[in-house]
Order: sequence, then C-alpha cells, then structure tokens
Amino acid sequence: MNQLGSVGLVAALAFAAYAVVAGVVGGKLRSLRVVRSAERATLAFFAMVTVAVVALEYLILTNDFHNAYVAEHSNRDLLTFYKVAALWAGQEGSLLFWTWLLAIYSGLAVLLNRKKNRQLMPYVVAVLMGTGVFFSSLVLFVANPFQELSLASPAGVQPFTPPDGNGLNPLLQYHSMVIHPPMLYLGYVGMVVPFAFAMAALITRQLGDNWIRTTRRWTMVPWMLLGLGILLGGNWAYAVLGWGGYWGWDPVENASLLPWLSGTAFLHSVMIQEKRGMLKVWNVVLVITTFFLSIFGTFLTRSGIVSSVHAFAQSNIGPFFAVFLAIIVFFSLTLLFLRLDHLKSENKLDSLVSRESGFLFNNWILLALVFAVLWGTLFPLISKAVQNVSVTVGAPFFNKTAIPMGLLLLFLTGAGPLLAWRKTSFQSLKRNFLAPLIIAGASGAILLIAGVRLFYAWMTLVLSIFVGVCILGEFWKGARTRMKTAGENFAQALYNLTLRNTRRYGGYVVHLGIVLLFIGFAGLAFKTEAKGLMQEGDLLRVKSYLLRCDGLITGDTPNYEYTRALITVTKNGHAFTSMHPEKRFYKASQQPTSYVSIHPTLSEDLYVVLAGLDQDTGKAVIEVFVNPLVMWVWIGGVVVFLGTLLALVPSRVEREMAEIRRAQEVAVQASDAI
Amino acid sequence: MSEDQPSPVGRGWPAVGALQPVSRRGRVRGHLHAIKHAGKWAVVVLACSLFAASVIRADRSRKPTLESIGDQVMCLCGCMATLNHCPHRDCATVAEIRPIIEKEIAEGKDETAILQDLAIRYGVQMLAAPPASGFNLTAWILPGVGLLVGLSLVVVIARRWRKPTPVAPGVPPKPLDPKLLAAVEEEMKASGMGTGG
Repeated sequence: MNQLGSVGLVAALAFAAYAVVAGVVGGKLRSLRVVRSAERATLAFFAMVTVAVVALEYLILTNDFHNAYVAEHSNRDLLTFYKVAALWAGQEGSLLFWTWLLAIYSGLAVLLNRKKNRQLMPYVVAVLMGTGVFFSSLVLFVANPFQELSLASPAGVQPFTPPDGNGLNPLLQYHSMVIHPPMLYLGYVGMVVPFAFAMAALITRQLGDNWIRTTRRWTMVPWMLLGLGILLGGNWAYAVLGWGGYWGWDPVENASLLPWLSGTAFLHSVMIQEKRGMLKVWNVVLVITTFFLSIFGTFLTRSGIVSSVHAFAQSNIGPFFAVFLAIIVFFSLTLLFLRLDHLKSENKLDSLVSRESGFLFNNWILLALVFAVLWGTLFPLISKAVQNVSVTVGAPFFNKTAIPMGLLLLFLTGAGPLLAWRKTSFQSLKRNFLAPLIIAGASGAILLIAGVRLFYAWMTLVLSIFVGVCILGEFWKGARTRMKTAGENFAQALYNLTLRNTRRYGGYVVHLGIVLLFIGFAGLAFKTEAKGLMQEGDLLRVKSYLLRCDGLITGDTPNYEYTRALITVTKNGHAFTSMHPEKRFYKASQQPTSYVSIHPTLSEDLYVVLAGLDQDTGKAVIEVFVNPLVMWVWIGGVVVFLGTLLALVPSRVEREMAEIRRAQEVAVQASDAI
Repeated sequence: MSEDQPSPVGRGWPAVGALQPVSRRGRVRGHLHAIKHAGKWAVVVLACSLFAASVIRADRSRKPTLESIGDQVMCLCGCMATLNHCPHRDCATVAEIRPIIEKEIAEGKDETAILQDLAIRYGVQMLAAPPASGFNLTAWILPGVGLLVGLSLVVVIARRWRKPTPVAPGVPPKPLDPKLLAAVEEEMKASGMGTGG
C-alpha cells in the first residue's frame, strides 16, 4: 500500500504538469482537443491523489505501523472515528489532504464549466494545476507520508514495525476538532479557484461581467467553509483547552482569519463592479490578496517560524512555500499591471453618501484589520530581525487594536445596506436611520442604568441593537409592501420576498449572524471565575451557583485513564444540573488533557474544569467559569452559515438571466465553430 | 457702508452689488450641506477617537490584582498562554512567578512597575504585548497609521471619482413617461425595494 500511495503521487504530479502545459498550449492555439485533454488530465490528477489518500487511510485503519506516519499519529486503541481524522493530524498527511481538496475543487471547476467560460478554462486549468504541481511535489519529495520505518542493525538497515503507534494527539480527540481542519482546508484551498478565474480573465482580457460573477460564487463557498472552520476551532478551544475562552489571537488562528477578512472585503466590493462597473482593479487585487493570504496562512502553520500551540513541528518546507508565494505575487501583479487598461472604471461616484462609498469604507476597515492582525502576528519575527529582541504579541495587543475597528465594521454592517446606490437623499437617511438610532440610544441608556459600564461591551451591545433593528427593518418594510401589493400574509410575503432576491436577503441574514456573534463577544467582558480545592461534601459558590462535590471516581479505558469529578449544582437554592469534568491521561502518547463540563444556556454558560489533584491534600482542584452570552457566538456562526447558503441559491431573476447568458454563449460557440 | 462707497472687493470676495438675499430654500440647502459636511467629519473624528482610545495605555495606576497582571504576562513554560491560562497543572513557572507578583502588589507597586520588574527579571518576551517604547512602539502605532492612510486613500479615490456637479442646465430634462414611471414603481414595490436599496 505504501508503494501504491507513492505511485499515486508520482502519477498525480505527472498529470498536473501535463495539464499546465496543455492548458497554456490549448489556450494559445485555441485547440479544443488540447484543452479537453488538459481538463481530462485534471480529473486524472484527482483520481491519482484519491488513490494516495485511500492508500494512507487504509494503512491507518489497518494499523500498519511499518508506515512512519501511521506509527506517529495513530495507535491500535484509537477509535475508528479518530483514526480517519489521523489523515490530517500530522504535517505529511495534512499536506496530502490539502492536495486532495485542491484536486476536488479543480475537478469540480472543470466539470461545472464544460459548457461555459470556455475561453477562460484553459488558463483556469493551468493555474489550478500549477498549484497542484507545487503541492504534489511538496508531498512527494519533501513531506512524504509513505515513508517506512527502518532500523539500523549490524546486518544493515532492516524494516521495522513497532507493536503500536504513538497515538493521536489527545487535544485532537474531540468531535469538533475532527471537522475543524477539513473545514479550514476547504476554505483555504477553495480560494485558489477564484484566483485561477481572475488570472484567466487577465490573460484572455475577458474582463467583463462574466468572470466577476463566476469568481464571486466560487469565493462564497470557501469563505463560508473557512468561517465555519474558524468557528469550529473556537468551539474546540472552548471545550478542550479549559481556559474558558474560544479565541486567543494565536498566530495560527490569526492566519485563518486573514483570508476570511480579505474574502469578506471582496464579496462586498464585487457588488460595486457588478452594479456600476467600478473598482475593477481593486477586486483583482483582493482576489490575489485572499489567495496569497490562504497560502501564507498555510506557510505560517507549517514552517514553524511562529510559535503557536497549533503549529506543526518545525520543518524544512518553509523555503518552498516562500518561493511559491513569491511566484504568486510576481506572476499575478505583473499580469495585473499589463492589463490595467482593460480595467478602467465605467462610472463615477455620484455621492459620498451612497452604497458605493459605504462599500469603500467597509473595505477600508476590513483591510485595516487585515493589516493590524498581520502586523501583530509577524511583529515578533520583525522585532527579532531588526533589534534582535524576542517579544510576544498576544491578546492584549490584538484586543486593543482590533476591537475598535471591529466596532466600526459593526456600525457599517447596519448602515451600509440602508444607503441607496448612487445617492442617498436626506429624507431617505432620516426615514431609514431615525428609528434604529432612537431604539439603540434608548437601549444604551437602559444598559447604563442596568450597570453595563464597560465601554467596549456597552458600545458593542448598543451597535448590535442598532444594526439588528436596521436589518430586521428591511425585512419588515419589504414584507409589508408585498403584503399590500400582493395580498399575501406576513409569512408568505417574507418567504417570497426572500426568494425573489436571495443575494440581498441572504446577505441580510449573514449580517444578522454577525450581530449575534458580536453580542456573544460582548459577554467576554462579564466573565466570572472561581477556584477551589474540593473533596466529597465541599461547596464552592460562584455568582448564583452553588457547587457541591459528590466525590471523585477513576476509570480506565483502552485509550486513556480518567479521573472524574461528580458535581451537583444548585442555582438560587433550586436544583440546576450535575456536571462531570474529567482529567484524562492518554496511554499511547503519555499526555494529559482536560475534558471540560459545560452547561450552556442562552444567557450564560456554567463551565467547570477539573484542573487536577492537589499534591498536598489530594483534593480536586476545581475551576469554575460563568461565561455570559457564549451560546450566541455559536448561534451567530450558524446563522452566518445559513445566510450564505441562502445567498448562494439563485433567485428567480438570476435564473432567468443565467439562461439568457447560456443561450448567448452557445450561440457564440456555434458561430466560432462555423 | 453705503451703496456709493467702494466695496472691499478682492479675490474671493463678491462685490457688494453681487450679494443677493438668500432664499429660504437656499438657506435650507446650505444647512443640509453643512450638516452633511459636519457628519462626514464626525465619522472621521469618531473613528479616530475610538481608535486612539483603544491604543492609549490603560490607566495603570489602578490597583493591580493577580488576575489583571496574570492576563498581561506570558507563562514561560512553553505553553504559549498567559500566566492565568497555562493549561499545565502544577506548572513550575506559574508557581515561581505568582508569589513574585503577589509580593509586589503587597508592596504597593502599580501595574506598570510590576510589569517592568517582571520584564527586567525574565525578559521582554514575558510581556503579553510589546512595551510602547523604542522600536516596539511601531507595533502600536502602525495599525492606527494603516487605518488613517487607508481612510486618506478612500477619501482621495472617492474625490477623484466624483462626478462633477452639473452646471445650470441649458435644456430642461425631458419629463419621464408616466406609464414607465408607474411600471417601475410597481416593480419596486413588488420586490420590496421601496426603501434605501
């Protein structure tokens, strides 16, 4: 199976290299036959990488510890569910997984464009497979997951098979951690497709509406999945790491946020190009930036140049990524520069109080955030290079710089959609903003009276209310108009209104999700902690909760040993819940980890950690956190996800326009053939 | 000044005779323009104030606690977490540093002094954020500079893109076909687009 996997990789590399050459040659010569062969080579690349992935999974699932990767990241007693996830637990396997996702995206791009974008596809394939050449080369020659263990002996080097493996990192043995890397990689990798379409559009000078429409859709999917991956990572950190938080501004966390932020900027500014034919150069820059940041994030995680709890061990793949990044920048910016004449704006700005300028300001904040986070993440390296001093840039820095920008962005989330295209009249401003401002202002006063005095938390909640009212007002006004004109009831009106313009109302749902996320973030300011040594019968009070320890039990599973605390909780004197935090010791890897017990509600989470046993007294060290509003973070993330799905559904008008465009393309192809 | 006396006419100053009484509509337009102009600057000032407020160092003369200091220093055991959040039970680094912090709090030192002492003892990398001095000041300043530079670029680009204000029209615009206008309004109502969008 090791040999089969290696052969799969070699064949994949060969097909990718052929596809690059055939794509470019076919595009230059306008040879349909050569272009189709490039596309078939792309599908063959997918098939061969799949062979390699299946081979590695087979080795993992059959406990073939002769394979070095399997021995490092799996063991006999690991649950099957986690064995499957071991594919992306280590450097080599996760690179192979990255390559496989690239192959899937490339295959989908080819299959979904067999009858459209024909002039672009040769170069789309070339760019996709150029990336495929890089990653498959990396996996084959630098980080190969099919290496076999051997032992030096007097008789020479002998194959070696240990009786068991080291097991999966205990921190990865959690359900959301299983899904988190695939979602993140689907986000990172997916950004290559819009980049490929952008490059193809520049090469072929097909810089009209078509490429931007295609690119927008191909960006939304990875953007959505990347966001979901970030959320799942936060959920994992919250449930497993035991410090009561879900975002630590770790360099690898930041690296995942950067392409999501620039992707968000693109998804907004692309609307200006579609509606008004403006910001063409900027949109190309954003597509390039997003792809660059995706690869850069991968580079940061894997090169070991930054210290992070998430990073893989230091390896030698950093220089290869650096070269690839340099090639991306050089190639894409050169192409952009050469095509500037084709990217002239078709319209002018009618007014600074318009949706166009709203999007400009939105992009300003998002890119400023990208810069601030990137600067903070790289500052330790810069400091070391410039002044030979190691510094740490942690949460206090990022909270101070990112929070104010985040609040500005939150304001624009509500204000932007209420501005009209081209020009917003004063009457329109008054009509749209008066009620939200009054309600937000009144809410702000109530919050102050209720004791919310921390500035950022207060401002976050006030702005959230403002934005929420703005967005819900849009749904209400639209549905009410439809009720009057179409005679529908409210539910029907809302349903039909949404389906008629899924992009717009799906976008509003996404904005609502962002509001819920910010409400959840505001809760961090009101966290309460308590800690105590407890044995059977001991009590610990935190806020309105009284925790009673009912004892400790120990146990043994094939995978780990555990100590579990039995805690009964009353709230305001009434029975509330029972909680069972655990401390586990994983046998194969010889590592301890906490299994936090969480009782979530909409208003606050009760979060209990068994930190360990006190050496002097033998009592359990119990840490308790009361975390307000955390549930809204997860709910907000789900709402963002659902809103994006809704925005991806073609509305009736879009379907009709797509039919017309398809008919036009067929006619053009037919006349070309003649 | 009587109408017969010369007026202080110079560049930019209208001749006295050119001054006309401003109509009520003109006054309202003038007020609206001023409000819009002020509104734009209010947004800029608000943005800068919010940002400045965030990066201005917190009042470190407030009474420090183990909690507040522990959130601002890193644990040096390699966990890459702050002292308060080190995941290792019985971490030797935490056990060593916490008594030092407690002692300094008991001695009445403020946050700044305690953080400085820790930095001297264990190195600057112990602080969870770089100190705002020397080259490290760039860590704090550049994000704000980036924000302001970005804003300037947006304003410059927006101004370059602005359509010139039309001069007094020579020919009045053709009135819209009432049937076409009614059809557009109907379509807008049906799609709920009667608002800002």
